[in-house]
Amino acid sequence: MSADQSSLVSRWKTAISDLRQGRAKRRTYVILMVVALAFLAVLPFVAGNYWVRVVTGIFMFATLSQAWNVITGYTGYFAFGNVAFLGTGAYVTAVLVVRYSVPVPVAIVIGAVVAAVYAMLLGFPLLRITGHYFSIATIGVNLATREIAFNLPSITGGGMGITMPLMRVSIQTFYRYIYFGMLGLMLLCTAAVYLLMRSRTGFAFRAIGADESAARSMGINTTLYKVLAWGFSAFFFGLVGGLYAYWFSFIEPPMVFNPANAIKIVAMTYLGGIGTLPGPIIGAFILEIISETVWGRFLELHLAVLGLIIVFVTVFMPNGLLPLIRGESSLRALVQNLRERRL
Amino acid sequence: MAILSGKGVSKRFGALAAVDQVDFEIAEGEILGLIGPNGAGKTTLVNVICGSLPITAGTVHFKGQDISEWTANRVAESGIARTFQIPKPLPGMTVLENTMVGGLFGRARRSRDMNHVRELARETLAFVGLEARVDARVEALTVADRKRVELAKALAMDPELLLLDEVMAGLNLVEIETVMDLIRQIKDRGVTVLVIEHVMKAVMGLCDRILVLHHGKRIALDTPQEISRDDRVIEAYLGERYAAAKGQRVN
Amino acid sequence: MWLQVIINGLLIGGFFASTAMGFSIVWGVMDVVNSAHGAFIMLGAYVTYGLHTMLGLDPFLSIPISMLVLFIIGFLTQKYIVNLIMKTAVSMSFVLTWGLDILLINIALVLFTANWRSVSPSYAGAHWAIGTATVSYIRAGVLIVSVLLMFGLSYFMSRTKMGKAILATAFDKDAARLVGVNIGHIYAVTLGIGSALAGAAGSLTSMIYPISPQLGVTLIAKAFVVTALGGLGDMRGVIAGGLVLGFAESLGVALLGPEYQMALDVLMLVAMLILRPQGILGKKYYG
Repeated sequence: MSADQSSLVSRWKTAISDLRQGRAKRRTYVILMVVALAFLAVLPFVAGNYWVRVVTGIFMFATLSQAWNVITGYTGYFAFGNVAFLGTGAYVTAVLVVRYSVPVPVAIVIGAVVAAVYAMLLGFPLLRITGHYFSIATIGVNLATREIAFNLPSITGGGMGITMPLMRVSIQTFYRYIYFGMLGLMLLCTAAVYLLMRSRTGFAFRAIGADESAARSMGINTTLYKVLAWGFSAFFFGLVGGLYAYWFSFIEPPMVFNPANAIKIVAMTYLGGIGTLPGPIIGAFILEIISETVWGRFLELHLAVLGLIIVFVTVFMPNGLLPLIRGESSLRALVQNLRERRL
Repeated sequence: MAILSGKGVSKRFGALAAVDQVDFEIAEGEILGLIGPNGAGKTTLVNVICGSLPITAGTVHFKGQDISEWTANRVAESGIARTFQIPKPLPGMTVLENTMVGGLFGRARRSRDMNHVRELARETLAFVGLEARVDARVEALTVADRKRVELAKALAMDPELLLLDEVMAGLNLVEIETVMDLIRQIKDRGVTVLVIEHVMKAVMGLCDRILVLHHGKRIALDTPQEISRDDRVIEAYLGERYAAAKGQRVN
Repeated sequence: MWLQVIINGLLIGGFFASTAMGFSIVWGVMDVVNSAHGAFIMLGAYVTYGLHTMLGLDPFLSIPISMLVLFIIGFLTQKYIVNLIMKTAVSMSFVLTWGLDILLINIALVLFTANWRSVSPSYAGAHWAIGTATVSYIRAGVLIVSVLLMFGLSYFMSRTKMGKAILATAFDKDAARLVGVNIGHIYAVTLGIGSALAGAAGSLTSMIYPISPQLGVTLIAKAFVVTALGGLGDMRGVIAGGLVLGFAESLGVALLGPEYQMALDVLMLVAMLILRPQGILGKKYYG
């Protein structure tokens, strides 16, 4: 190899290692993002409908996982039932579009706002409860909201669901619209979380997640910030819900309040790395692609594997893949950690 | 002028009175020591003042305002900062970030400029001697360093009243001297300090006055000299320790 | 009519208490919310179903077998999986057992399919008449078994060496370790017992309701409500909680009709979490 070539190679290597450890120069990140975005922007025009739908699903779950991470990974309140807000966003959007002829984008945003307000109102009583109880309460909220959707047929169509109007374009164009919509949500959510966690509010969230009573003694109004965190995550769940309703053109309670989605979000976020920014995205990509190619055809098997992944990750890699990718941890360190935890 | 005063402060846990009708006041700018045998109610009193525990009876006034029913975060925002006996650093965050939380949410509450807050946090950490460890994760710190972080977090809140709970426990003689010096500097900056301590040398050497608790009741509130002569205190607490402290001071 | 409501409340309340016993003991002793408890109940139900369908074994007689099978499953699960995360954050056990629950339910779906099945012994429809009300043999039997299980558990915890070791561990595991108790083993036995109780509850369930792999999902919610109502740490609390829920449901069905049962349960769950979490502060298990 000539001198030029080898120095290029070594520059590549340093760039990659810096990237892995989160130490790269801003310029490297920008280049990487532009390349990735370019790739993703071109994808729907070269790949078939199937893959466009799959990648759209990845964007959707990456957004949900990222938003979920805010209340769970950072603030420490494990809201397993957050899909309730996805369902809320979906239903509000559907009702507004179908019954009141509100334009779809507006309806989606209103749906998200309603979901956020719902979360914040629930948050005041529920976020006082700690640990296991809160998690279970959120599952209860999801079930309760589903029941509400079932039992108000005059508004929500009850068990019959709601059918959305179709866009007057070809299927392919429609899927592309949705694809870019979800991509946009994913970027928006990631950017929002990035800015949020560097702000004063983000510090409050992390402090609460670290040690709530210490946070209180330092002047943090923990109730207020917990409610904000939940409202933030519910907002994005609502946005996704609204777009999801439009995407599938038909919604019914078991679909949008489906706990299986909650399972996927949990698995993805843990797999990627809970409480980190790239974690949920990495988890979403890996899990969706693998599941789609390997076992997606068999629903029960799919869910069983997700369950297995959750068990595996919580026992062996509680911090997810990210520390391994970053070189902050290694297989040996994980084994060591496991040994230390022996009773 | 009293910056903090308590009248008939009581805290009961069922039938047990951990703090029993305690009256006290702390003058602005002074260093008040709070001593008493283990279980006397010192930490409980601090918890009640700070709003970490609800008060059972009595009142607490801070700068003329009744703070008896205030929540912990409201008390912290108003200018009272405390450290915990067993330090509670925020895990998963660096030393610098821990200190910044104090700067962002204490009385200082500099909400706009994160860079400014970061700079001030660095200064506070330099003051307590942790400038070399600003980016370390708190889980990796030694016990002594954890106590420094605990102090830095509280100082970053820019308090008018600082409550230190056994900040010198487990430190060697040199470290104790360092901390005593820090406390004196803190006082010079105009901060009123309450020090819960068992290390007699520090208490006698630092404090303007000392409040003595025993079984939740106040048994004395006086200058160090008077305390060391007070029969009730000697009986309850000082005993041999007094002799050791007196002997050291003579040296 | 009211007599029937009361009787129903009593019968179903005893059943609810039995679903909660295993859940409560695991939570009280180990501070582990076993999200897979529902799946364990489901497995117990299938054991009874299998024995009944293939060997004609009377469902009541299959209870000891399902208890044994589930004890082994629970013991091994704790020993080789859950014990590894006992020293980590409390939330981890919730997530872990949740993953386990999903795994078990979906394996069951693959193996048994989602078809509803039922266990109908020859005496299925028989009942006594008391005034205007009826008491079915089976439901009475279920209540009796539930009561026996409660007494059995109480006796075990207070009179046997293992039971005392478990209580000691619940109180202060470091002190227990110092006197020679093998904590890992105790935890494994505890989950084993909790699972065995779930297995028994599952057997009982199969006699009253049709079963499917998703059976545990609603039952764990009821177990949770009962545990929370009764307060952790006391079998008497579990009984009380079970009766309260039983009567509430019986009344609700009588007044509002069965469609609202699910909604009522969820409402009770959420309301209870808001209004009574203070009643659950005592997490130590006192037996």
